[in-house]
Amino acid sequence: MNVRPMRVDDLMGMQACNLQNLPENYTMRYYLYHAMTWPSLSYVAEDYKGRIVGYILAKMEEDLKEGEEPHGHVTSLSVLRSYRRLGLAKKLMVQSQEAMKNMYNASYISLHVRKSNRAALGLYKDTLGFSVKGVEKAYYADGEDAYAMHLPLRKDS
Amino acid sequence: MSKALAKRNPLPSKEATLFKELLALYETRQLKKGLKTAEQILKKFPEHGETLCMKGLLLTHMGRREEGIDLVKKGVRLDLMSHICWHVFGLIQKADKNYEEALKSYTQALKFDKENMNLLRDSAQLQTHLRLFENLVDTRHTILRLRPNLRQNWVALAVAHHLNGQLAEARKVLEHYLRSLKNVTDSDIEHSETLLYYLLVLEELGEFQEALSVLNENAGSRSIVDRTAILERRARLLSKLHSPEAEDAWHALIEHNPDNYDSYRGYLADKGIDLDTPSREALSTLQKFAQLLTRATAPRRLQLNITSGSDFHELARAYISRGLQKGIPSLFADLKALYADKEKQAAIEDIVDSLREEYAPSDSPSKNVEPTTYLWTLYFLAQHYSYLSQHSKALTLLSEALVHTPTLPELHLLRGRVLKRSGDFLGAVRAVNDARALDGQDRFLNTKCGKYLLRAGCVEDAERIFGMFTKKDAISPAADLDDMQSLLFLLEEADAYRRLNKPNMALKRYMVVKKVFDEYEDDQFDFHGYNLRKFTIGIYLNLLKWEDQLRSHPAYVKAAVEASKIFVSLHDDPSILKSLTSSSPLSEAEKKAKSKAKKAAKKVLEQSDKSPQNQNTNADKDLEPAPPKDDDPNGMKLLVLPDPLEQAAKLLQPIVKQLEAKGTVADRRSKEGKMKRDVDVWIAVYDVAIRRKKLLQAVGALNHAKALQPDYPSLHLRLVDLKQRASSLPQPPPSPIGPVFTSSISELIPDELSLETYNSQYLQQHSTNPHAVLACARASQMLGAPLPDVEETLFGVFSEEVEPDVLMTLEALSFLFSLKSTRVNEFKAKSQERFPFSTAFKDAEEQVALKAQIFVVSAVDGSESAQDSKDVVEVVP
Repeated sequence: MNVRPMRVDDLMGMQACNLQNLPENYTMRYYLYHAMTWPSLSYVAEDYKGRIVGYILAKMEEDLKEGEEPHGHVTSLSVLRSYRRLGLAKKLMVQSQEAMKNMYNASYISLHVRKSNRAALGLYKDTLGFSVKGVEKAYYADGEDAYAMHLPLRKDS
Repeated sequence: MSKALAKRNPLPSKEATLFKELLALYETRQLKKGLKTAEQILKKFPEHGETLCMKGLLLTHMGRREEGIDLVKKGVRLDLMSHICWHVFGLIQKADKNYEEALKSYTQALKFDKENMNLLRDSAQLQTHLRLFENLVDTRHTILRLRPNLRQNWVALAVAHHLNGQLAEARKVLEHYLRSLKNVTDSDIEHSETLLYYLLVLEELGEFQEALSVLNENAGSRSIVDRTAILERRARLLSKLHSPEAEDAWHALIEHNPDNYDSYRGYLADKGIDLDTPSREALSTLQKFAQLLTRATAPRRLQLNITSGSDFHELARAYISRGLQKGIPSLFADLKALYADKEKQAAIEDIVDSLREEYAPSDSPSKNVEPTTYLWTLYFLAQHYSYLSQHSKALTLLSEALVHTPTLPELHLLRGRVLKRSGDFLGAVRAVNDARALDGQDRFLNTKCGKYLLRAGCVEDAERIFGMFTKKDAISPAADLDDMQSLLFLLEEADAYRRLNKPNMALKRYMVVKKVFDEYEDDQFDFHGYNLRKFTIGIYLNLLKWEDQLRSHPAYVKAAVEASKIFVSLHDDPSILKSLTSSSPLSEAEKKAKSKAKKAAKKVLEQSDKSPQNQNTNADKDLEPAPPKDDDPNGMKLLVLPDPLEQAAKLLQPIVKQLEAKGTVADRRSKEGKMKRDVDVWIAVYDVAIRRKKLLQAVGALNHAKALQPDYPSLHLRLVDLKQRASSLPQPPPSPIGPVFTSSISELIPDELSLETYNSQYLQQHSTNPHAVLACARASQMLGAPLPDVEETLFGVFSEEVEPDVLMTLEALSFLFSLKSTRVNEFKAKSQERFPFSTAFKDAEEQVALKAQIFVVSAVDGSESAQDSKDVVEVVP
């Protein structure tokens, strides 16, 4: 599969991939907001027909608290079930985190996972090297808790 | 003028102060207080236009839209010289998405307040949205003149020039701006983006050398911080300059991301080699990278495209066995593209067959093969044979795999797909539901199951299944999927309703697709200002390009064409409406669903009433109007629109615009699909135009279609239709249109042939194409042929050399049914014989019984499925 930076004409494919695969969905406006603000942080994986089979939608944290270091945030990462075991999630994550580090001097990446989503938890922990930093109570609209996870991007963080 | 002027009596100082307060209260969103203040002024000066406008504006934000708009209009009339009145009017029109009118109001307002920054900024936004780039340049000039210290105003002017096609001007503005910059810190992301935009302008101007030195200088000093962009641009520029350093630059880009095909393409193109054409150089390059970058898949996969014979065999074997051992489910999907080459297809079959033997379970201890490798091999082969339409072989392989591992959802999913391809839509759903049941947390499996249910016509079940993942507080699963802009759901459900003969609901869903595209189009509005503030210009220009060709997206085209067909059928046969309104009492289940939805809707409304945001006292009240609730849950209002043809024309118009501008609707997937889609659009355009008596547009559409695919069956039917309509006109249409129309028809269909002969000649020429057979049957019915003749033609789809598919045969069946033919059952029987697996031709009772089985999960040990397919295998010759 071809792994490359996201383009504007990928956004509909990303939205379709997300809706097919994940319970957390967004309208096009939200994808556009990511693309227009951080055009170099999101990546896609496409098949030979140009269909989006995986993506990472990423941003930088905007509301930094006093003294907080700049850090990236993964809004959504998804690979269609039928395209798993190719290491696409890892490849997408690596590209995005390089850009966060290079361009924005990010010291770590954060993301949220549903407490019940064992598959995703396994992916982030074992494959991508994230660790659980804490639990956010009732993070999701339906009241479920989220694990807040971190991946350090610099040796000292 | 003097009359209007005479009315502009200034308010006395007390009221003037109150009016200022009113403006401030609006700015700070204190709506209720604002309203009180406005009323206080109006008590003394009921005809004060500006106050009336402000009161109207406040009301529109307080849920009293209509009343508010009336007041604003009244206010404007009373004070035509006030920039405030026109500004307010513009705001209202803008909120209504009536951008043309809004811009007119802003232009009017600017006449009376030439340097008002809010008015200028909003005007620029509207001009960009409406693509009025010449005016945009003027506005940006004015803004820059007034506020030259604001960085974004410089870039904004450059962008305006750029959009207006004046690249050289854009460059000048940017260079002036960059020279005047002081105190730029390192790693300033906005500055970095601006420089990347400057580079883009230079590159588009063909100034590659200049661009390269700007790039090198600013990359070195860390003024440009986007490393990926630096690598990409450097490689591209060096190639364009034919520099010997280009190779290294492309190499660096490949190392930076070894799975990006574009980089390999660029690396080879730089040496004059094409990535898709077999050559020694291409192969050795890819081999070099495959050895260097062991974790990358791209160079190994790309080699398979450009090798053949024993080279291919060797490389493919390594690629496949690695994929099977790793258990990669997408291996077949990945290699399928190679099947365009029959030799490669045979080689792959050969390789996987031999691997199957190698991996087969055995007692010999010397073999050290993971059992799952064998499983994935069976899975691959099943996909292979299914692709070649050898359904029974695929099912046998899957049965073996399911005995081996009954709990792997992929196997059930594939079994569903094989059954679907063989026409057993209900068996397919059952298999996919089996997959879903194995992992209820997986939305991918859930979506598949819902989609298969829709394909099988089980709309209620589909919504229930989809509902397992939609928001619980949504009015219905469909409402959530609509909010989330799920084009997949909307189109699949619309198609399902269409097949179920519920044009009202089908039309409703197709029109939601249109609404989603309206939203996409509207989404750009805020970014006209936003991106300038963020300096992200490159991606912004791509946003505009994307928006400009949005309506050529396959999803929009599909929805517009299908909805247009429904509108046309309503025009042709208004009795459709009667039959829908009189004879469709709700089923028990529908009633239940309806009352449930009502309850949920009520609950949502109650809750939103309680939430503080909707109490108009709150200062933070969002200024967007509340979304209108669904006042047409059954789509019946769409069906009774007085002008169905105008509706259809409106839907098709933006696609036609695209087609005329570019010759084709954009699609980066298959060429064949694109061609068919374009022809379908032209045919829909014809159907609407000929009925609207737009004669030249109608023949023009058929000319376009003919140029694309002269033998296309639906085109043939339209040609017959055109000629027949033309000859039944009471008199030839008047000049200048008439003669052009008549001569165009002669060019499309030879004058010397009768339509009957023309039709039968077409049939003779395309007797093996099932779609052509159906089109001819329809044409001869249109020409008044006796029923037995039409039937005979239609039964031609069962001739030996014809290969109809299930969906096409169902279409023929429903045509036969509409003719009230006595041979319907005979046709069904023949269809069943032709498609032994298919459940689509069973009678209603049997279908109901099969539907009842869908959610009975098949035995987990796979025995039942195995038994099923063994039975089936014997039926097939």
